[in-house]
Amino acid sequence: MLVMGAAILGPILAPYDPQVFHPAVRLQGPSITHWLGTDQFGRDLLSRLLNGAPSTIFFGLGATVLGVGAGSVIGVIAGTAGGWVDSVIMRILDGLLAVPELLFTLLIVTFLGGGMGQAMLAVAIAFTPGMARIARSSVLSIRTREYVLAAVARGEPSHYIVLREVLPNAIGPIIVESTIRVAFAIMIGATLGFLGLGAQPPSTEWGLMVAEARHFMFRNAWTVAVPGVAIAMAAMGFNLFGDALRDSLDPRRSH
Amino acid sequence: MTLGYLARRLLAVILVLFVVTFAVFAITMILPGNAAVMILGEYGTDEAVAALERRLGLDQPWYIQYSNWISGILQGDFGQSLRLSLPVADVVGDAFWNSASLAITALISVTIIAIPLGVVAALKRGTTADLVIGFFSYIGASMPEFVTATLLLVFVAGPALGLLPAGGFVALGESVGGFAAHVVLPATTLGLILTAHISRQVRSEMSEVLASDYIRAARLKGLTERRVIRHHALPNSLAPAVAVISLDIGYLLGGIIVVEEIFAWPGLGRLLIYALENRDLPVIQAITLLLATVYALSNLLSDIIIAFLDPRVHYA
Amino acid sequence: MAGAPIPHAGVRKPVLEISGYSLSYTTQSGPLHALKNIDLSVEHGQTHGLVGESGSGKSSLAWAILRYLPDNAIENDGGLLLSGESLRDRTLPQILEIRGRRVSMVFQDPSTSLNPAMRLGDQLSEVLIRHRGLTSREALEESEAALARTGIVKPREMLRRFPHEASGGEKQRVVIATAFACNPELIIFDEPTTALDIITAQQILELFNQLQDETSISALYISHDLGLVSRVADTVSVLNAGEIVESGPRGEVFSNPRNDYTKALLEAVPDPKHWLGISEPPPGTPALISAEAVTVEYGRQSRIGQMLAPKPTHLGAKDVSLTVHKGELVGLVGESGSGKSTMAKVLSGLQEFDGTVRFGDQDYTSLKKIDRDYRRAVQIVFQHPDASLNPRQRVREILSRPLKLYDIVPPDQRAGRIAELLEKVRLPAEFVDRFPHQLSGGEKQRVAIARAFAAEPELVICDEITAALDVSVQASVADLLVNLQEQTGTACLFITHDLNLVRQLAHRICVMQHGRLVDTFHRDDTERSDRNPYTRALLKAVPPPASQAV
Repeated sequence: MLVMGAAILGPILAPYDPQVFHPAVRLQGPSITHWLGTDQFGRDLLSRLLNGAPSTIFFGLGATVLGVGAGSVIGVIAGTAGGWVDSVIMRILDGLLAVPELLFTLLIVTFLGGGMGQAMLAVAIAFTPGMARIARSSVLSIRTREYVLAAVARGEPSHYIVLREVLPNAIGPIIVESTIRVAFAIMIGATLGFLGLGAQPPSTEWGLMVAEARHFMFRNAWTVAVPGVAIAMAAMGFNLFGDALRDSLDPRRSH
Repeated sequence: MTLGYLARRLLAVILVLFVVTFAVFAITMILPGNAAVMILGEYGTDEAVAALERRLGLDQPWYIQYSNWISGILQGDFGQSLRLSLPVADVVGDAFWNSASLAITALISVTIIAIPLGVVAALKRGTTADLVIGFFSYIGASMPEFVTATLLLVFVAGPALGLLPAGGFVALGESVGGFAAHVVLPATTLGLILTAHISRQVRSEMSEVLASDYIRAARLKGLTERRVIRHHALPNSLAPAVAVISLDIGYLLGGIIVVEEIFAWPGLGRLLIYALENRDLPVIQAITLLLATVYALSNLLSDIIIAFLDPRVHYA
Repeated sequence: MAGAPIPHAGVRKPVLEISGYSLSYTTQSGPLHALKNIDLSVEHGQTHGLVGESGSGKSSLAWAILRYLPDNAIENDGGLLLSGESLRDRTLPQILEIRGRRVSMVFQDPSTSLNPAMRLGDQLSEVLIRHRGLTSREALEESEAALARTGIVKPREMLRRFPHEASGGEKQRVVIATAFACNPELIIFDEPTTALDIITAQQILELFNQLQDETSISALYISHDLGLVSRVADTVSVLNAGEIVESGPRGEVFSNPRNDYTKALLEAVPDPKHWLGISEPPPGTPALISAEAVTVEYGRQSRIGQMLAPKPTHLGAKDVSLTVHKGELVGLVGESGSGKSTMAKVLSGLQEFDGTVRFGDQDYTSLKKIDRDYRRAVQIVFQHPDASLNPRQRVREILSRPLKLYDIVPPDQRAGRIAELLEKVRLPAEFVDRFPHQLSGGEKQRVAIARAFAAEPELVICDEITAALDVSVQASVADLLVNLQEQTGTACLFITHDLNLVRQLAHRICVMQHGRLVDTFHRDDTERSDRNPYTRALLKAVPPPASQAV
């Protein structure tokens, strides 16, 4: 599984080394003289694809890192503080989680205005409640472990307990969830691009590419298929990676 | 499971929804510009804008606006659409039923397909069948709706094959056949990711059940494998399956927005996009609230079903 | 007791005969030899005890007999005969016929081996329907009778219950009834009392003996508990790392063990007559710590919490008063739910409580008042070796924490002190660099003990520290503890459910039941008739081994 993850991830990462392929403007032509064909303006699809790769993946990673970061902090606070702080935070999270994620993202993006940066922020905000909940439950389960109790009984200061005893052990599930979230972020980012709420033309963001090509899709399927499949592969790569990660961190594995 | 529990859960749901309304309201407050500006557009003079603001009650302090809005809702009045000059309730109402028909179709199909898939994958864990199912699940789970939709449109509805209409809508009331033809592609698009998720979860839950001590005990009693699966394994996997499905409903509600847009299905999703593009606040608020309510209620329903299925669950 | 009948003179084939059988598993790190050349036989009407610690392969043997082996299991061509017929080379349908009907099994933990979503009656009846071809109505009648035979008071009602609605003892009776239901030739009992409370375990044991007498069933009784096996078995085999190292009639094995492992195992069984503890502190030694009228109420909520989701509260401890004197070892005994762990948590500053804890000349009336000095002077060692050490810290860091926190020695001397500590707990010095997962259960407990003593405490609370360990390891850990106590003069509160063990170590013993302290006595007074009835019941439930070995 791990091998599969790496194998699929490889080709995704490979084109993402910073060779900027300038979109060569050529004559219109849906024929496959170029490796992946050209789009309605004659631009080479492969080049556009590669050009868009970093932004797509960066979007996914960036949004996830922000969301995970914010969410984890909140979750850890809730989990370690307990008492009314925890209850209040949980109620608020429950409320936010009642809104389906895509909807949440759309709302935020609309009010922030379009553009990659705003979209990324929107996704990050939408991820935060979910990640907070996971972080919290992870912290809660570690908090009752006997080695943590031992530290409390010893009278260790709280910051030590949180930083050295709880956190290193609670981080596992958070990391696994993060990789899966990256896949999600990529998908949502592309969707936003598709809807015109994320990247703007003439960016080569893949979702945008699909949207633009929709008008011509019946004439040349490649224009939509190529970026679409690329998006799927990127998401899949991260999904596989996340699963492989989860399997290897599984405590049931004997050493 | 007692009535008291039910009452308390309902209370929790209501509380949650309150938080949602507040959040939605807060967002609209933060937004630069307001309804009056949007209605009058670029041509509004400052006085006209101010007059309109007063008429719409926008110059009042936020908490008064909020309570007005809430009390309106409780009476069934969601205000007027800014763009369409129609009561929001009417506009949203129609769209709601259309969306519901699509969503429910998708949900039912997914349940029928995904659960058996997951069970089979767990039973044949490690074999080719499992790997194949897993492989397709991965692919399915990684394709955003618009990609699936577009690909489906190209290959199935395109000029090459032209099997199904490329979009549009026929109400179930009018013609079942027409409805069916039009619903296939959007429902499939919606269902793909859900099927992938749910079958994977069912597989993992079922695998856990199969590895448990009581399944081992049942096998060692000499029961046939069929009996072990049907009477021991499956009943214990149902409850987690329901839980997974209810979680994914949230996903469904999100995906429906994109799908309706692409397939021109006149439901809440399409309406929402329209409202977002046009900054039609009352509509946005109403739809958000509605979707959140549906999600919360479906979670409640699934909790009830789970409590019913799993005799172990004590809800004192 | 276990009614040792002499096999009938007319030679009857043994019910179970295993000859030269070996089993190994192929794993990523090479073949794992689980069983090596096993010879074992169970005669008709007899109970054969198989004694083995964890990792000995005893469970693998049970699975091998029932032909329930994973794909990576490799067997040699040794013989497995059931009443003379080979169990090997059977098709799956044939095996399914044998399981439950000719050979059945009683499992260790009734909570996990019963289907939580199916009524108990159905789980019993399905065997009858499957193997004896009864209709469901007949099966239910028969099930009711079967339950009655295992001592269930209202069998008809029990049939309709779900597992979570029955106690551990009741569930195990159902499991036993299921095993007996089809009158099998052989029943395999896999540690059937390990997961039960002391008194319940005693009842199940008596039930076993009673059923044995009534039905002359042949049984293979697997256990890690030598003392227990001595009370039920006619013949005994001892399994060590996949090999049978000793075998024979019960009396011989217990009074004249030939193999060193067996001897070590026998030595390790807690025997009250064998005093391990240190000498008692002189009378008049001041009290070090005492709990006065301590009560713990779990589940207290804030008023808001009560409005939103009221939960019932639960008393973990009720009005408990106990004292530990300097240099003393006090045993705290009780079954699960008795409140002994609650008291451990209160005294180590982990649990909110009502009442007073007096330490030295300070009175502490609530958790908040417990201060750094107290925490340094009172240390705790927990039960589960896997959970008591931070998996991400090496031994060095684990042991240096208390040194740093309480400033026991200046930084430059810490490494040296850590080495000393490791030596005191008899662990090699190289272990400083190891992570917990690289240590065995016993080794982890030693590190936990070293950590506790590193703080130079005046009281060490041991909360069931040997419960999760193998018998042979238990003895060495207990021995270690006593040694350290002697060297440092530290007092100890030793919490356990093992009455025999505590009688080897403790100067005074306290007994708890349902959150109350019901009895406190000096070890010399243990067997006096004015002991609390619950104490007497406990004593009766775990007779010391020596008296049974004849």
